Amino acid sequence: MSAILEQLAPESTLADDRYADIRRRAHQRLMQHGFPDLKTEAWKYTSLKLLEKRELSTASGDVVASPEALPFSADVIRFDGGLVDEAPTNLPAGVRLEPIDPVELVNLDYGDRAGAMAWLNLARFEQAWKLVIESVLDRPLVLAMTLPEGFSASVHPRLKIEVASGAEAVLIEQQRDHGEGLVNIVQDIELQRGARLRHVISRRNAGSVWVQRTRVSVAADADYRCCALELAGRLVRQDLAVHLLEDGANGEIDGVAFVDSRQHVDWHTAIDHEVGHTNSRESFRILADGSGVGVFNGRIHIQRGADDSHSDLNTANLLLSENARINTKPELEIYAEEVTASHGATIGQLEDSALFYLRSRGLPVDQAMALLKFGFAAAPLEQAQPAAVREWLNADLHSVL
Amino acid sequence: MNQTAQQVEQVIQQRYKAGFYTDIDSDRIRAGLDEEIVAMISAKKNEPEWLLEWRLKAFHHWQTMVGPNWAHLNLPPIDFQNIHYYAAPKQKDRPKSLDEVDPKLLETFDKLGVPLHERARLAGVAVDAVFDSVSVGTTFQKELKEAGVIFCSFSEAVQDHPDLVREYLGSVVPYTDNYFAALNSAVFSDGSFVYIPKDTRCPMELSTYFRINARDTGQFERTLIVAEPGSHVSYLEGCTAPMRDENQLHAAVVELVALEKAQIKYSTVQNWYPGDENGKGGIYNFVTKRGDCREDDSRISWTQVETGSAITWKYPSCVLRGDRSAGEFYSVALTHNHQQADTGTKMIHLGKNTTSKVISKGISAGKSNNSYRGLVRMAKRAHDARNYTQCDSLLIGKTCGAHTFPYIESANASAKIEHEATTSRIGEDQLFYCRSRGLDEEDAVAMIVDGFCKEVFKELPMEFAVEAKALLEISLEGAVG
Repeated sequence: MSAILEQLAPESTLADDRYADIRRRAHQRLMQHGFPDLKTEAWKYTSLKLLEKRELSTASGDVVASPEALPFSADVIRFDGGLVDEAPTNLPAGVRLEPIDPVELVNLDYGDRAGAMAWLNLARFEQAWKLVIESVLDRPLVLAMTLPEGFSASVHPRLKIEVASGAEAVLIEQQRDHGEGLVNIVQDIELQRGARLRHVISRRNAGSVWVQRTRVSVAADADYRCCALELAGRLVRQDLAVHLLEDGANGEIDGVAFVDSRQHVDWHTAIDHEVGHTNSRESFRILADGSGVGVFNGRIHIQRGADDSHSDLNTANLLLSENARINTKPELEIYAEEVTASHGATIGQLEDSALFYLRSRGLPVDQAMALLKFGFAAAPLEQAQPAAVREWLNADLHSVL
Repeated sequence: MNQTAQQVEQVIQQRYKAGFYTDIDSDRIRAGLDEEIVAMISAKKNEPEWLLEWRLKAFHHWQTMVGPNWAHLNLPPIDFQNIHYYAAPKQKDRPKSLDEVDPKLLETFDKLGVPLHERARLAGVAVDAVFDSVSVGTTFQKELKEAGVIFCSFSEAVQDHPDLVREYLGSVVPYTDNYFAALNSAVFSDGSFVYIPKDTRCPMELSTYFRINARDTGQFERTLIVAEPGSHVSYLEGCTAPMRDENQLHAAVVELVALEKAQIKYSTVQNWYPGDENGKGGIYNFVTKRGDCREDDSRISWTQVETGSAITWKYPSCVLRGDRSAGEFYSVALTHNHQQADTGTKMIHLGKNTTSKVISKGISAGKSNNSYRGLVRMAKRAHDARNYTQCDSLLIGKTCGAHTFPYIESANASAKIEHEATTSRIGEDQLFYCRSRGLDEEDAVAMIVDGFCKEVFKELPMEFAVEAKALLEISLEGAVG
């Protein structure tokens, strides 16, 4: 058994509850496939070797920290170390949070070693939750997860989010890490007919390894829009797959990531047009400074018969220092005819002429550079709604740059 | 009834004009692959000891490897023990001039439109013709010799210029590089060798024409081009094979070395038999092509038009080692019926101020799959390096696939990379425009495709551009409607 398997997947000590069989099966699959290495295509640029050296405890119940205050009114659901803090009583009308029935988890399949972290989640999760949004919410719903200093556990939160037909919501994931553990999240988001979800991910990490896998399914005329602000971390891997399942489904992803020294961020997105008359758009930017490594893999897949689908993917990247690295791979996989699909990718640096322009107007070089970086990074955040959320994201970005 | 069958046959023949078979006595070694076969090939070529050792090392390394499975291809397993690794038309000794070459062979190349005979002097292209495993003749040797250019078959080069071959063989594509390169290194039978001396501009276009003729054989040729400082050469490559129901393997290695300020332009029109409309037969074309811009200010340009082969797996690459060196890749890849292509390029920027440009046009029709797979890598010391990549795909029909897998890696903060890709179908408005001016649908499509590929065609030498355009039109026959 490899070191990483020994470290992460010892025999479970979890209670023999109604999820036990599911965990056992997942554990078997994990042992069968093992963990990905750099030869695994989906993990080509990201190594999990860091985890081999970490002493991770499994206790998570005592991880408690208060989330940062938000500058706008919102309903907040707190996750402490992956567990919802008891059954929240202050949920807004039209929102339910309940444990998932094990039947829903029986047939899950995460494939081979590329999906090892998802198998690990299924083998180790304590409680799987389902969040159901059934009406039009008038203020954002926040899922707050804050890991305090000294956090060194491995936690495996599992959450399903259902947005019912005709419901609308702004869902914000406010994720803050100050520890050195492992967070391994699996999320399934389901948008039913005509539902609308604005999904905001705001993440700022310290030393923890953060792996998150989000699968979104979008039904007829439903609209999923994700806006992400990734303010680095020791090692972050985000998989975000959007499946457009029925006519009129729309999927959009806008994101920006900033990495500095000893930080590694890897975003893998996939937009899958399973039927025709579906639209998608994606724009992702990375700024890499210090010895930071930024990875972006964006895939657009238009399946056979998904005629009249339209898709556009754009990724722009700034390399800001001699030791930083950016690896990007925008993929198109097209099997239908009447489609338009395009992607563009650039890697470059700040324009000297733009810097000169600002300096000639009296700005010191640091400020001029910060302004240019901010201008570049803030573009994808323009899509965030409502305005108060956008300003909050901008302020966060500003504080880092 | 009989007449109809004949007509159908004629149409098929017309679609792949190079699909005939030449009935010629051939000398063929037994099928299979082992140390003895490798030694037999080496002995047939009367090779020096060091080359046999090199082949055997490659063979042993190949035995430790497994075939690549990462390409977007549906590749049935290949029985490497069922292939004849050497087949050559019978002749007593290598002919000293083309007059001594078997007329049947000359006729074959005449039929293929290759100006092999000296009387085709007006064509102004020197040709090395490779038939199955051996070179059957090289034209304009005398004129080239006067200019100091060496252009001969690989086997001759091993005998006549062993030091040059030994210095450069495997220096760009080592036998450890990949599965098919290792296989080729073990069993390569012939190919072309080009050496352009310092400050020499090669007086004419050089060309190699590869022909697979014999049944159950594979072709494993090796091309090595060395351009000394300040030299310039333009090299063309063409290939065809008879129509057969079984698949045949072509695993070649091409190595280019460009020294200071040297320029190499390498053009390919690949027209191996693509298989029939049901996907039966055709050539598996697994080729490793790499150019090394070894010294400053050198330039390597790849241009390829890929219309043939059942399966293509090919990534002509440039290693931009010298400062200010430049790499270019222009490609048109057309797949039809059940053809599969996974092709693209690698641009590895190592030196300062290096530049590269990639223009790739993929056209998919029928039930084919066409993938562009490319890598642009800026190494840490590739200061101020630049890359521009454009890959466009055109879909004709509802049952084909077009894919793009670009890998872009940058470790230098002053390097700039731009990549853009589009996938679309031929617009109804474009078709309507052409048809309203009296063109039928097939001509309209051919015209639009020609426009789509123009950027690449203009990089080809003129004769090849005409041939490439005609090939595309033929390959697209039946793709519409």
